[in-house]
Amino acid sequence: VIVLWVLIGIVVVAVLLAMWLFNRLVRLRNEVDTGWSNIDVQLKRRNDLIPNLVEAVKGYAAHERGVFEEVTEARAAVARAAGPGEAGDADSLLGQALGRLFAVAEAYPELQASQNFRQLQEELTDTEDKIASARRYYNSTVLAYNNAGQTFPSLLVARLFGFTAREFFEAGEGERAPVAVAFSS
Amino acid sequence: VTLQQQIRANRWRTLLVVVAFVGLVVVVSAASYAFLGQGGAVGLLAFGLAYGLFAWWNAGRMIGGLTHASPLEKRDDPELYRLVENVSIAAGLPATPPLYLVDDPAPNAFAAGAKPEKAYVAVTSGLRRLMPARELEAVLAHEIAHIRNRDVRLMTLAAVLVGVVAMISDFAFRMAFWGGRGGNRNPVQVISALVALLLAPLAALLLQMALSRRREFLADASAAAMLNDAEAMALALRRLELDTSEVAYADRATAHLYIESPTRAIRGAGGFLAGLFQTHPSLDDRIRALEQAGGFRLSH
Repeated sequence: VIVLWVLIGIVVVAVLLAMWLFNRLVRLRNEVDTGWSNIDVQLKRRNDLIPNLVEAVKGYAAHERGVFEEVTEARAAVARAAGPGEAGDADSLLGQALGRLFAVAEAYPELQASQNFRQLQEELTDTEDKIASARRYYNSTVLAYNNAGQTFPSLLVARLFGFTAREFFEAGEGERAPVAVAFSS
Repeated sequence: VTLQQQIRANRWRTLLVVVAFVGLVVVVSAASYAFLGQGGAVGLLAFGLAYGLFAWWNAGRMIGGLTHASPLEKRDDPELYRLVENVSIAAGLPATPPLYLVDDPAPNAFAAGAKPEKAYVAVTSGLRRLMPARELEAVLAHEIAHIRNRDVRLMTLAAVLVGVVAMISDFAFRMAFWGGRGGNRNPVQVISALVALLLAPLAALLLQMALSRRREFLADASAAAMLNDAEAMALALRRLELDTSEVAYADRATAHLYIESPTRAIRGAGGFLAGLFQTHPSLDDRIRALEQAGGFRLSH
């Protein structure tokens, strides 16, 4: 009889522990989702800015068609991206394309002096900074969640209930390029 | 110490502070029994608890008033607002806390508010002028870290309750002299009552100061992690260290809210007793901790 009670006790403790671990995983996963939506908000904001920016530069440098196409395509790729990994790659390509766009703009002092262009540039810099902030937070939540899903004992609960690892949102090489250009002007 | 552990510890300490506060109010009331009789003591007790509750509901506004902080709109200083927005995003806060400005040349900053969603960040105009953007961001990150780590609730509570205890014992003390009929009291009773009346504010102060020191290290470390830039935090602290001016509207009730001690009397120097009264660890210690964590050395 005592053995039975001990067994029941062990089972109860195990179930309670599993519940606690499950709740913790859910909480961590929710934080990852919140973190990603923070990035998504800023990516959308930047994607809304870019057409205006392209139009502003076009007004002075209509013949630089290659750069405009590159930016437009990279922008579409970010909007299309399924998941953080893909979005990160698209983001770094867009960063490079924007860098070239600003390099083109450098050659037109009148464009540089226009109020509209400067404001767009400022907004873009702000958005880039916010993407960088949101990325730091998101990656820290992914790290916490993935660690929980890959270490014992929460590993067991994660496997059982299908908590799969999440992707990081990586900083691309050219990511800070437009920011640097914006500061030098 | 992980963030979750710190938040849990803060919850426990908040409870402890409330219990200690109630205890102090009871002790002060019991002590004043000797002077005021039953009616006076009960009235004092009721008044103290009611005032404590009132203060708790209005804590954010009260601290704003005490420190002479006024709200700052985004259009007043878009650059500063952007920095706060960025730091809030990096901290994962659900919303950007409002900004307040204290018109004071001494560089300093604090965060206050009874609830995280009602918390705000205040900076002095001196800080705004003195700090380059990178260091300003680090200071803001330090304050946002206090909000996220739930330090602000505990610190606000401590500020308010210390004020209440000080007021009650002051009140009781005056009443004792004003209402004293003399002659027919037991001298031991009178002396112990006096000691309790004098000790209560002292105990409250020690309590408040013991609360605020360790969390400064953690907020520095959180800020460094948030910005991925321990050096910026250390540079900002160095800049605060080099400036020796004092904040005009800061007293013992609000000193522990600030990023560095706002007055020199509280900054003090050396000795065990001075250590007990210190609201903040020394800036040198904090810079050293950051240097260790970040693996760099500031030039001296």
